[in-house]
Formats: sequence, structure tokens, C-alpha cells
Amino acid sequence: MRIVLTVNGAVREVDVAPVARLLDVIRETLGLTGTKEGCGEGECGACTVLLDGTPVNSCLVAAAQCAGRSVVTVEGLGSAERLSALQEELVSHGGAQCGICTPGVLVSAAALLSRGGVPTDAEVREALAGNICRCTGYQKIVDGVRAAAVRNAAAARGAS
Amino acid sequence: MSLHALADHPFAAPRSLAEACALLAERAARGERTVLLAGGTDWIVEQHLAPAPAADAPLPLVADVSRLAELRGVAERGDAIRIGAGTTFLELRRDPLVTARLPLLAAAARDVGAIQIQARGTLAGNLATGSPAADGVAALGALDAVLELASVRGTRRVPIAAFYTGYRRNVLLPDELIAAVEVVPPAPGSPFAWRKVGTRQAQAISKVALAAVAELDRSEGPGARLTRLGLGMASVAPTVVFLPEVRALGLGRPLASIDDEALAAATLAGISPIDDVRSTASYRRHVAVALVRRFFESLRAPS
Amino acid sequence: MAPVVGQAVPRVDGPAKASGSARYVDDLTRPGMLFGATLRSPVPRGRLLGVDRDPSFDWSGVTVVTAADVPVNVVATIERDQPVLAAGEVRHVAEPIALVACEDRLRLERALAHLTPRIEPLPAVLTIGEALEARTAIHGADNVMKRYAITKGRGRDGLTGCEVVVTGRYETGAQEHVYIEPQGMLAWWEGDDAHVVGSLQCPYYVQKGIKTVFGLADDGVDVTQATTGGGFGGKEEYPTVVALHALLLARKSGRPVKLVYGRKEDVEATTKRHPSVVEITTGCDRDGTFRAFAARVVFDGGAYVTLTPVVLSRGALHATGPYRWDDVSVEALAVATNTPPNGAFRGFGAPQTQWAVERHVDRIARTLDLDPLDLRLRNLLRSGDTTATGQLLAESVGAQRCADEATWASGYRNRRGAGPVVAGRTARGVGVACFWHGAGFTGSGERYLKGRVAVDLLPGGQARIRTASTDIGQGTETVFRQIAADALGVPMASVDFAIPSTRVVPDSGPTVASRTVMVVGSIVEAAARELAERVGREAERSGSTRAEAHERLAGTPALATCEKQYEPPPGLAWDDATYTGDAYPVFGWGCDVAEVEVDLDTFETKVTGFWTAVDVGRAIHPVLCAGQVEGGTLQAIGWALTEKLVTRGGKVLNPRMTDYIVPTSLDAPPFTTLLVEEPYSRGPGGGAKGVGELPMDGGAPAIAAAVEHATSLVLDRLPLLPEDLFEASGAARSGGGPA
Repeated sequence: MRIVLTVNGAVREVDVAPVARLLDVIRETLGLTGTKEGCGEGECGACTVLLDGTPVNSCLVAAAQCAGRSVVTVEGLGSAERLSALQEELVSHGGAQCGICTPGVLVSAAALLSRGGVPTDAEVREALAGNICRCTGYQKIVDGVRAAAVRNAAAARGAS
Repeated sequence: MSLHALADHPFAAPRSLAEACALLAERAARGERTVLLAGGTDWIVEQHLAPAPAADAPLPLVADVSRLAELRGVAERGDAIRIGAGTTFLELRRDPLVTARLPLLAAAARDVGAIQIQARGTLAGNLATGSPAADGVAALGALDAVLELASVRGTRRVPIAAFYTGYRRNVLLPDELIAAVEVVPPAPGSPFAWRKVGTRQAQAISKVALAAVAELDRSEGPGARLTRLGLGMASVAPTVVFLPEVRALGLGRPLASIDDEALAAATLAGISPIDDVRSTASYRRHVAVALVRRFFESLRAPS
Repeated sequence: MAPVVGQAVPRVDGPAKASGSARYVDDLTRPGMLFGATLRSPVPRGRLLGVDRDPSFDWSGVTVVTAADVPVNVVATIERDQPVLAAGEVRHVAEPIALVACEDRLRLERALAHLTPRIEPLPAVLTIGEALEARTAIHGADNVMKRYAITKGRGRDGLTGCEVVVTGRYETGAQEHVYIEPQGMLAWWEGDDAHVVGSLQCPYYVQKGIKTVFGLADDGVDVTQATTGGGFGGKEEYPTVVALHALLLARKSGRPVKLVYGRKEDVEATTKRHPSVVEITTGCDRDGTFRAFAARVVFDGGAYVTLTPVVLSRGALHATGPYRWDDVSVEALAVATNTPPNGAFRGFGAPQTQWAVERHVDRIARTLDLDPLDLRLRNLLRSGDTTATGQLLAESVGAQRCADEATWASGYRNRRGAGPVVAGRTARGVGVACFWHGAGFTGSGERYLKGRVAVDLLPGGQARIRTASTDIGQGTETVFRQIAADALGVPMASVDFAIPSTRVVPDSGPTVASRTVMVVGSIVEAAARELAERVGREAERSGSTRAEAHERLAGTPALATCEKQYEPPPGLAWDDATYTGDAYPVFGWGCDVAEVEVDLDTFETKVTGFWTAVDVGRAIHPVLCAGQVEGGTLQAIGWALTEKLVTRGGKVLNPRMTDYIVPTSLDAPPFTTLLVEEPYSRGPGGGAKGVGELPMDGGAPAIAAAVEHATSLVLDRLPLLPEDLFEASGAARSGGGPA
């Protein structure tokens, strides 16, 4: 079936099997391979994307369920040439090592930061509890996300 | 790992509850299987684990019910709160009515998986899958929820305690779906407990989870009595259990007169845990008893 | 040029990884590509009589490969006992029997389901105990794969006459790596040339495996690393198997083949940390001065030898812990079982024996009623001491400083002295562990290996490092650029890092053994320095600027490249026959303090604080270095508290991330990471030592000690599940009633 959805801000029309996984649509039909598959059963969070602003495991969402909705993947957060504050701070604080969980971590963190303010350590940890990282020990991810929140908050103050 | 068979499934997206019921009725009459897909957090995982179906095997129709407005939302209805069965755990934990009047349910919702699962998983899915480890079912059980089952024949109301008939089996007929749950909230400020003992702090399947609510009549001072008591416990039996023996022991009696030994016996009477990949029967028995005891200790503590 | 070594410069691969543009193997595709899958043994041991194809299935477009299609059926590691595909017998559940490839993934699954191995089951050996009993012999007559003996002084006889003799037995279970990217390879042939690109740590290991099976020369094989989503040792030896399988399918089908494991398959089939049983008897003075150490170390090697002898060696060499003993006897053996081969995993045998010795030191402290920290401080190795193999520790011995820093920062003494903090039904306690880790290959390893690195001067003032040391997340690409930039005297942005591909980079040795920065980094530094000198000489000779000299050399092929080989430190002596001498060029040292909170009803343990001090010689990049320490420590915490591989009949019952439990962000403690720098004179960047594995060694015993402090429960077997604490508490025997 043909569905229309917004992907990273652009309206896309794609021909999909209705019960195909959103993950496969993103990676194969749309060619956005930044979203990763780590377990295929909603445990690791590497495939996290935003569906209408909320983080979901794209391995557990049927393509047809996304018709008319907005999907944001890691590619929608910022390109390698123009990283967002979140991407930059995560990297500079040592929150990315092998990088395979990084897209999912960033997407979950972006959802948290979109709520505004500077989250506490505990809030960051809860928001990222569905994203398993085997490399970092998480402390550096938490530090990076909080630093980005501080930066965003400062930018927002500057803008207002 | 027959994920690749997912794409072969026939699909429907009913636009209303009535249309969904009609579709179910039609297919049930022909003996055809329909999968009602909401969050997919159980069904798609099951497909992942299942072997590839044979090329000529009939696949069930997948009907997306995740967007049916009639299945969503939280509203007061008389003394009760009615929650659309398609409400997600994330919606529950953020809903002002739920957090204010049903803090137990909000707490349980917060312990389901992690955000990504909470954003997709629904009460209906939790109820219909009927895993013995279902946190949401334990919480609804403690609240003595009544389920509204809808079909073209109308709506019937089934108390949660009468819903399950065995391991992952329930009284839903092939043409029925769970439309809503109704809960009478405890008096404001009533004590409650949500305690999930899982394999880790998030993304965990319960080894034992206890949901409990109580209303206390403290007018007699030290002779405080329970005027309402509800419990639900996960992962200690083929279904989530509601501990009727503990309820019978606790209700109406002065709290001070309920001793730990009787409480333990009543708890053990209501559970039949097993050894499995996540835990052991003896540990589960011990924790079940301890959690119920702790809840009663918290009730006895001067508020 | 301001030096970049020691600075937390931006991680070079950061932007690609943070924007999703980094390409991992599953992101790659080639025209006409097929997908591959593997038929595996359902039983732990049996005679393989054949593989039946269901004639009713439409096999068109499906490629099937069995052992008969394998030119030389051997996975070449240390021994040649492991087949690429089982032939005649199967020796473990999930052993590869046949391969299938097809364009359509659903048909591929169905094809696999219509392929049935015909197996006559045989009695299997599934545990260390069964292997030692040897009622069923699966490896020689006694099931022993490898033995080592280490003796110092009077050996076991040293126990005689000791004032206090303490004996204990300590066990650890298997641990799964859970790299978030499963194993995967994409393979194709160009004429007779084999090409693979995939997820791997050691390109030249894969190359060797391919050369052996297909009878190819070095230049007939191209192994290229894709961006790799974690390894931790799990992608040291196993990727060779995946690459061979993909190449076999590609050869028979004539098409490129991508073989990527699902999570369940990965957990069921690939290597694990060796389960272990260690028995220790020690003698010491009444004041706690250590005298004699005797241990019997037994590792479960699994069904094939793979890397087990080397893992066992490292386990044996670390068995005494970072302590002084006059007399030592370590008997170490690895046994065969009908389980998937156990293999490399961060720490490589050392975490198992250090778990044992640290628990044992706590046992001695208990026996003598001494503070566990005081006991450790009294006996920690210092400069000038000798180890069990007689190695004189001449320099860079930071054991004491680490212990001081970690215990001071954590307030260990006060917390310990105050006793467990009980609040309601929870109790908090703290525990300490000291540890060491030999950096680089054991003994003469580096001498045999002759690791090589090339650095090229390129036009435009650029330079390029060519090395087979892969970045699998640790930050090699960044750190090597830092080292080279300083040595060359150029900005870091001028230094490139060639994609590790065996046709492009020389064999630097494998990416293992905490050797990348210390050993290979020192070759990078030496090569870069030599080029800098060449540039300097050329500038002087021609009276031009360095920049002009650089351009001239870059345009002269004979002068543009410096390829260097590792020079082991002079004076290092190791005797493989007696297991004496300098086991490692140098050691990393560490001390961990863990604080835990235990629920006294449910026995859930939460790590509420973690302080770790590690002597890394010199931190080339403090943030990346601390990242290694914290990540390794969390793997140790998972190993300690939740990670249990449950098996029955040789089959894994929890091969999913749902049930094999690794820590989430809510399970991880806040880390206080203290980098101690006791420079190593031969280390690059002013004294760097290896750091990758060190943090795996201390976490588990520190946590067990903290649990003991909180609850008085003494547990000597990993993991420490709530169920185990419950059993140990005695509450289990009271019948599940009120505790």
C-alpha cells in the first residue's frame, strides 16, 4: 500500500507492505541506515525513532501505523557537517564509543530535551533506560545530554 | 525469526469501533483469525520468535486499532474512571486524572519496559496477551477493574477477576475486543503500593510484582480497619493473581490483629510460582510474602 | 605546535556516528547480493550422518553449502581442530552444519526450515565437573586441553609452617559480550580473489583463516573492517567463521552474500567468557603478611581449542593478584566440554582468577579479623618486588597510589568503619578490590608477532597512519592521530587514519590484549618520529622550510613512507617452558570501591556509587581513557550482578536481550573515575600503558565485598543473583515464610 508520512520534516510517499516493520521501511525503503537493529524485539533501543515526537522502537511499529504521521530519525537531528548541540555534546563528553547505540540514544535524548529545561541525572537516566549501551557505562552519555540541555537553555535565553 | 513474513500479512484499518467489531464478527463467523494490532510490543515480538510460516499457511488479518478514538482517553464516569483500552502506558503515566486519582496505575505504567515500550504498549494489549508477568494487569487487578468487552452484539462488563481462565487464556470471544476498563478510584490519599521486583531497574520482566490499594477507617484509632483492599500480583502463577485469601483476611478486621504468619499463609495460598529462566519458585514465594507483609506494615504505620 | 597528547580533542569518528552516516556491515549492500543463514546443531554432541533437503520444497534460487563444499575444512587459530562446517560429528549446540543463501529473506528462512541435519546423539560433557571426571572423553583421554604450572620459591611447600592457612573455592559463569551490533560479514569474489568487509577486531586473523581454507596467497584476500559496533573480544576470533561462511556461499552462488546474525543466533552460537573454578590455599603471618599462594585454576574451554590456551595463560599469570608472595604454585588447566567454544572477552582470563583471589583476600581478612583494605595495603606489589614468574617490577607500579586515591575519594574508611547502614529493610555497604593487568601480549608474544605500522607523508602537508589496529569504539583512530600528530609536529587534522584493509595496512597484530595504544601506538610514534626526522634532515639539506621538505618527501615514494616493526623493550626475558621471566612489558594497576544497597527482603542489589582509580601510565585522551574505564567497569558490574547464561542440555535458555540481563542507565552507578599516571618509559605519548581490559578486573569482587559488608552474606560464585543471596541467607530453608 502507498502511505504518506513525514520523515525528518519532508513529506514522503512510499509503497510498503502494511505490516512491514517501520525499521525496515526506514532502512531499506527510505535508505536511512542511521537507525540500527540490535535485537529486533524492543529491548535494546538501537532502532529508536520519534513517532509524532515520542520515542518508539521502530522494530515494533507496523508501516501502515505511520501513515499521516511524523517520523524523526537520527538523520533528522543534524548532519555530520552540522551537528546539533545534543550530537556535539554527546560526542565531546565521550558518550559515543562504538556508535551503534548512539542514534537511538540521541533520538531518546532529543525527545527529553524537547520538553525544555535542564533534566536531572535521574531524569536523563530514566529517559534513556530503553537504550542499551554496552560501551560507555552511561555516565558520559548522561553528562553529554545534560550539557546539551544547558547549552540549549542558554541559547533559548539568548533568543528571548 | 519470521519477521520477514510480517510483510505478507493481510491488513485492515477499521475507522471506528463499530467497523472493527463488524470486521471481527464477519471473520469470526467464517472461522478466520484476526490480530488486533495496537502497540505491537507483544505480537511483533512473538512473530520475531516464531518459525517462518509455511508458504501456503493462511496468515491472520492484522487490524490496526491503534488509532480508534473510541478506544482512547481517560474520563470520569460517575464514581468511576473509564480508561479507553487503547490508552498507552505513557499516556497513563502522564494523564492528570490517572496521576491524581489512580497513582498506583501511574506508578505501574512507569515501570513497564522503558519509554519506547510505554509509548506503544496499551492496557488492552497487556490484558489480552495476558502474560502472567503483566504489570498493568496486576495494577488493574488491585483496583478491581471492570473490563468492557465490545462486539456487534453489544457490550458486556467482566470483572478482571473473572477475565482469565488460564495461562494466556481469557473469556474474550473471537468477535470481541476490549474497549475500556473502568475503575473506581480509592478515596483520595488512600495508601497504595507498587513494587516491581524485576531483573533490573528498567526493561525488566517482573520476577514478582505487587500492586495494592487500601482504604482505611482510622476512626477507631489503633483499631484501624480496612474498608477496601485490592491486590494484584504478577509472575507467581499461570495468570496474574488477585490474592483473594489475603483480601478475605484483611478486610474489615482491625489491622493490628492481622499477624504476619496468617498474612504469609494467605499469600502463599494465592500463588503457585515456578522455577523458570528468570527466577526460582522458592525466591518468588519468599518475595511475595515479603511484599505483602511490607504493604501491611506500611498500613499499620501511623500515617 | 601545541601538543595534542593529553588533550580531550574531538573524537574523529564522532560526527559520522552521531549523525547516522557511519556505515556498519548491515548498512552495506552490493548489486545482486544474497542473504545468508546458518543451519546449526540442535544437540551438544552426535554423529552427523547427513543433511536432508526436503524434496517438496522449491530449492530454485537457493544456494546450499555443506562441509563437502569447503576446500580445507578448518578454522585456523592455535590448533586446527575446529571445522568451518561440521563434518562427521557435531560437538556443541549451535555448531554450524550447513549454509543457505537466497535473495529473499523469507524464502531463506523457509529454506533453512526445510534443511534437516541427521544426527545420532552421543553422550555429552557439559560442565567443568563432568569434564574432569572424564567418564566421557571428548578431548584426549582426560578432556584436558591445556595445562600450565607456575612456581616461585618453594611452591606449594611454602604453605607448610605458615601461621595462618586459608582455603577457598571460587566460581564464575559464562558471560556474553552483547556488543549491540551482532556479528556480520559481506563477502564476494572477484575472480579468484576473496573480499570480505564486516564487523571485526582483527583483519589479519580473518585473512589467515581465509587463506587456509581457500588456499590463497596474502594478496588474494582483501579483508576490510566496516565501522564496528562493539567487540570486547567477541569479534577477535569469531568473525573468521562468519567471513568463511559468507565467502563459501558467495563462491558457490557466484553472488555477493551478506551474513548478519540475529541477536538470538549470536548469543547461542558465538563465544563467551570462560566459566571457571579456582581453588586457592594461602599461608600468611598472623599480622597479615602474605607468604605462600597455591591455586588450581580450571577453565571451561568449550568444544574446540580456539584461543583457550592463551586465555588460560593470562588467567594463570594474574592468579596471585597484585600482591607479594614468597612462594607460589599455580596449576592451571582448561578442559573441553560440549558447549560453544569459549573465547576472548575483555580481560581474557584475568577477571576470573582475580575474582577468586580478591574474594580469597577478603576471606583471609575475615579469618584474621583485619580490615580488607589494610590487608591489601600491607601486601600490594611495589616497585622492586618480583611477581610469581620472577619478574622484577622496575617501574610504573601504581598499585598503592590507586588504592590511596580510590579509597580516599570514596571515603571508604569512614563508610567501612561505620558498618553497614541499615534503613528500614535496606542495607548499604562498601567493598574494595585491587587488581592488575599485564599490558600487551604475554611473554614472547610481541617478539613473535612483529607488529608493523606504516605512516605516509602525503601531499598538502598531510600524513596517514596505516595500521591493522581497529577502532571498535575505544577511540583508536583519534588516539593514534594524536600520537602521530605530536610526533610529526603537525596539526591533528593533517593526519589521516587508513581504513583497516589487509591490502592497505600492514599487519600490526590483533586488536586485543590492551596492546593497541601501548604497543601499536608506540610503533605509530616511532614511525612518525622517523618521518619528522627525515623532514628535518631534508629541510636542512635543501635549506627549505619543513613544509617544502614535506612536499618533496611526499612526492618521493621511497622516502614518503616509514614502515616500522615493534621493538620489544631490551632485556625482557621470558621462558615458555618454565613459565618464568617477564610475563608482560608492564602492568596496569587499579583499585575499585563499590557501594551497594541491598534490599533485605528481595535481595536486589543496586550499585549506588563506584569509585575507580587506574594507573594507565599516561592518558593520551583523558575522556576516551575514562570511557574505557567506565564501560569496562559496567561490564564487570553486569557480570557480577545480573549476567547469567542459563543453559540446559548444552542449549542456552536465555539467548535474548529480554532475559540475558545487561545493565541499563538506571542500573549503572554514577562513576568517579580517577586516572593515575605512573608513566611507563617505553609507552607512547610520554608513557601510556594498556587500559582496555584493566577495568574488567575489579568490579565483581568489589561488589561482592560490598554485599558482604551490607548483609554479612559471603558469596563466592558469580553472578550474585538475588536468588543466590536469598539461598545464602538461610531464608530459603525457613520455607518461604516471614524472614
